Amino acid sequence: MDPFPAFRRRFRKEAQMKLTKLAVIALLGLALPLSAEEKGSDTKGKFYFKKSCKTCHVKGGSALELTPLSKTQAQWRKVFDAGRHGKAGEGFSPKFGTPEQIRDIKTFLINHASDSPQPETCGG
Amino acid sequence: MDRRLFMQVAGTGALAAGSIACPRFFRKAEAAPVIPAGIPTTCELCPNKCSVIAELRNGLIHKLNPNPENPKSRGMLCARGNAAIQQVYDPDRLKQPLIRAGARGEGKWRPVSWEEAWDYTARKLSEVKEKHGPQGTLWSSTEGFQEVFFKNLGMAFGSPNILRHPSLCLASVNLAYSMTFGTVPSFDLLNADFVIMAGANRFESIITPDTMDLIGGVMERKAKFIYLDPRFTVTASKADEWHPIRPGTDLAFILAMIHVILKEERQDKAFLEAFTLGYEQLAEHVKPYTPEWAELETGIAAKDIVRIARAFADSAPRAVFYAGRRSSWYTNDFQMRRAQAILNAVVGNWDRQGGMVPNQKVPKGEFMFLPWDDPKAPRVDEVEKNFPLASAKDGVYLPLRENVLKGQPYPVKAWMVYKQDPLHSVPDQGRTLKMIEQMDFVGVIDIAMSDTAWFADVVFPESHYLERTDPIEVLPGIWPAAVLRQQVAKPIHDTKPCLEIVQGLAKRLGLNDFFDYTIEQWVEAEARELPIANGLEHIKKHGVVAFSEPKYGATRNPVNRFVTKSGKIELFSERLQEAGHDPLPKYTPPAAVPEGRFRMVLGRKATITHAGLTHLPWLHEHHKENDVWLNPEPAARLGIRTGDLVEVASQVGRVRLKARVTEEIRPDCIFMLHGFGKKSPWLKRVHGVGAADAVLLETAWDKVSGNAAMHETFVKVAKV
Repeated sequence: MDPFPAFRRRFRKEAQMKLTKLAVIALLGLALPLSAEEKGSDTKGKFYFKKSCKTCHVKGGSALELTPLSKTQAQWRKVFDAGRHGKAGEGFSPKFGTPEQIRDIKTFLINHASDSPQPETCGG
Repeated sequence: MDRRLFMQVAGTGALAAGSIACPRFFRKAEAAPVIPAGIPTTCELCPNKCSVIAELRNGLIHKLNPNPENPKSRGMLCARGNAAIQQVYDPDRLKQPLIRAGARGEGKWRPVSWEEAWDYTARKLSEVKEKHGPQGTLWSSTEGFQEVFFKNLGMAFGSPNILRHPSLCLASVNLAYSMTFGTVPSFDLLNADFVIMAGANRFESIITPDTMDLIGGVMERKAKFIYLDPRFTVTASKADEWHPIRPGTDLAFILAMIHVILKEERQDKAFLEAFTLGYEQLAEHVKPYTPEWAELETGIAAKDIVRIARAFADSAPRAVFYAGRRSSWYTNDFQMRRAQAILNAVVGNWDRQGGMVPNQKVPKGEFMFLPWDDPKAPRVDEVEKNFPLASAKDGVYLPLRENVLKGQPYPVKAWMVYKQDPLHSVPDQGRTLKMIEQMDFVGVIDIAMSDTAWFADVVFPESHYLERTDPIEVLPGIWPAAVLRQQVAKPIHDTKPCLEIVQGLAKRLGLNDFFDYTIEQWVEAEARELPIANGLEHIKKHGVVAFSEPKYGATRNPVNRFVTKSGKIELFSERLQEAGHDPLPKYTPPAAVPEGRFRMVLGRKATITHAGLTHLPWLHEHHKENDVWLNPEPAARLGIRTGDLVEVASQVGRVRLKARVTEEIRPDCIFMLHGFGKKSPWLKRVHGVGAADAVLLETAWDKVSGNAAMHETFVKVAKV
């Protein structure tokens, strides 16, 4: 039995809705430099962080374990603003999420960074 | 098995073997634990979450036994835990959904089907949403393993007004320690040589594991134990020294201790240099706070303050000033807790055996459910604006109530309550009743007809914890554990777990996608990442996964970044300064007790930590009625003797109850227990018996955390 039927339905729906935007971004070959002023969804950011980032960034995973506490607010901003991600610095390509989803992740990580007023781990 | 030997064994072979011989380390070598037969689960009678093994006979729950495999339980189950059986078989418990048939509080109910209760509630919530937006609904709850589902329904509905219990409990202590160390540590009472407790009546108002460790540390190892309290409690009777400190002056005592320690250079200089920020400002700040000054404030002799400060520093790092748990006393409570944290830091007990230890956790997985949109409206309690350092997720209870009563910044007209009785847990019952009156709808989920349920429009009966399975919970600590609460017996009435109650509402509110899972799927996802082979099977069989050995000193590493703004332990806090608060704890004297009045102080006892427990027969047997404690000196002046009926009146309410004239309380204070004087006739043993403290308590809160300040009420006492 599929334990996440609703999740999969919703994820597919969102993916379809963003298809046009993603295609444009992919064509332009852009990573996603995000300005510090952009405000995403904290709630959704936590979800996408777990869903996308934590597939690799876990203890014993293929990338360094990360939680919001792993960096300060400034360090997280730097990572996202410079689009630094991956060993080759390839940035946040569409396979990691839509621009909105990456922005949500950024919001969540900055809001709960090590030096933030409301620091938190990502649960679990 | 010897505790140290266990640590060595558990740290190496046990994990790999996959069969964990869980903590026997709190027992003596000769007392090998016997694991009772039965179904392991987790107690819900208080926030300690002790592990339980339920013994069934003929399908009925016969007895609850402690589960020695959970280190946090320390091999015991208290009187409250044992009495849980009586909640299940209480003839007066909630047995099916009810819709109010008369006026609120009149007690006329119509038993209805689940479908009707869900339909009616969904319609009422939708009406409020239509008129006032989703922010017109309030969702309040107290902690519990299924609280997550209730909160999630409120958030998925679009309300920013999710209100949790910490601002009625330990928000000030959590915030103070977090702002100093970046985390809330545990106190290693089992290994401390010197313990100071102020008002935390830990021998009497049981908190495991601290109570059990205190018995081990203080009673068996003869650790030095200093206790400050306006009352002579059971804990006072076990202490080396009891100081009946003038209420509200703990901060003066602590600041004077820091003064002595710094003046005599007894601080841990190397630790302060390496790990803290703001030592110079602190040293300057405490200069005026001399023991002689503190004597005038606290009533504790300067020579005693000096002696205690020296002994405390000299015993460090195995010396702790204990934080307490329910902390909400005064409007400067946060600063008093900050001073405690700083005092502990000054002697360098951080992350040392017998000192304060950052908590470890057992990792677990997480069930991924769909995220919803963030709420569009700000919170009605304006926590972000008025309490920017407090937890925005938990909210601040009393400021919220005051705003709702004023209708500011917007109207809130529906109130859903889970597992909480605000008419007893929130000060000033009269104003909470007014808040209920101005609601278009009130819905309550509970196992018993609490006073708040009695005034509700719809009551949903939740299955008892012994009748349901809950999510896995991680209990952080020096010896952390992950525990499972699993169904022991099938529900005997037409009740449902909170998740199913939430799902019924979600379906009717168009939020089904967010709750499209079962409790089994949830638990399975969590168990998948337990650090043990066959995690789900193991935790179902044992009820607990716990095997970590204590890790002292992991954060005493020069590269460690504390979770604070500066990355250091913050003696001086820039963040507090930016928020307009004192960056170092500044003393302000408590309001003087007006002539002819008394300060009302609260406390708990082993059988009565929560208002919902007083009607359970085994607990009620120990304390059938509350009375008001009064010192013989004012009692003589007022012509009051033990057993006399007296009227106690504050500015917001008045109650009648019997007097207890005793020297075990200061002449300027009165004391009464919590959980009596119930309005709900379904709680028949305590309905109209004794008096409710919430009727008398006035509205006041700590300035930084928004935590309710429960010791700021003055009362008159008169013989009836």
